Amino acid sequence: MRLTVDREDYLIAGLAALAIVIHIAESALPTPLPGAKPGLANVITVAALLLYGWRAAIWVSLLRVLVGSILIGSFLTPTFVLSLSGAIAAMTAIGLGYLLSARSLGPVGYSLLGAMAHMAGQFYAAYLLFIPHPALFRLLPVLMTLAVGFGLLSGLIVNAMMPRLQAYVARERAPGG
Amino acid sequence: MRRADYIVLIFALVLLPVLYGTYWTRSAPGQAVRIIDATGEETIVPLTQDRHLEIKGPLGVSVIEIHDGAVRFVSSPCSGKLCVHAGWLRNGNDFTACLPNRVSIAVVGGTEGYDSINF
Repeated sequence: MRLTVDREDYLIAGLAALAIVIHIAESALPTPLPGAKPGLANVITVAALLLYGWRAAIWVSLLRVLVGSILIGSFLTPTFVLSLSGAIAAMTAIGLGYLLSARSLGPVGYSLLGAMAHMAGQFYAAYLLFIPHPALFRLLPVLMTLAVGFGLLSGLIVNAMMPRLQAYVARERAPGG
Repeated sequence: MRRADYIVLIFALVLLPVLYGTYWTRSAPGQAVRIIDATGEETIVPLTQDRHLEIKGPLGVSVIEIHDGAVRFVSSPCSGKLCVHAGWLRNGNDFTACLPNRVSIAVVGGTEGYDSINF
């Protein structure tokens, strides 16, 4: 069998590379609370979703978690498990939003959905696997507040990026362009 | 921002107060207290009945009081008195101990599990 590399593969690889760079840069930031980080790599996932569809967004998200963890050195550690659970929950929520809203959601909506689902998935995985103690739930309101704040921020960033990105994609797709 | 975005945003802003309301209230009152003494023996005493308990340890006698659904150390023959200063324990998973006299008390009720797991 021969694998052929098509144009979409290059696009996904490029977007994933951007997301991985943001992911790693963020991992160097000190975190005030365990489980809290800005999650600005989400910007790339949401942009991929709006420009190239749900499939591309899932690839970008999963590649980021996998390659990001290998480069940071957290592959298969609890951090990785939490990161993956969050990413799967986020992509499920974003996918549902994509289907149910008939594409009427914009960057801010997707970003908020993704951030909240990511936090919920990651939190529940932490509760089930690592700290099965009811007191953990006292952290949830604070973490969810941060998720909403950062989700809103990423959404506004994508909002600001979209006109240029769409112009770029249109130029790329234009015949002879 | 489009209308669907505002719907998600409003959902988020409604969810947050609900979360604070749900998880930042006090946990449910416990039904009993589990006392572990210096020999490692466990005793479960219901919180429904007011009483005084005297638990012997290596330093002497620790006095534990149960009153009105709550439990506390009244006195303990230790120097720090951290157990006494912990005050009344009322809710599930509330816990205190007199380490010098090797007596611990924990309120039980609701689900119990591990405190945490480390790698």
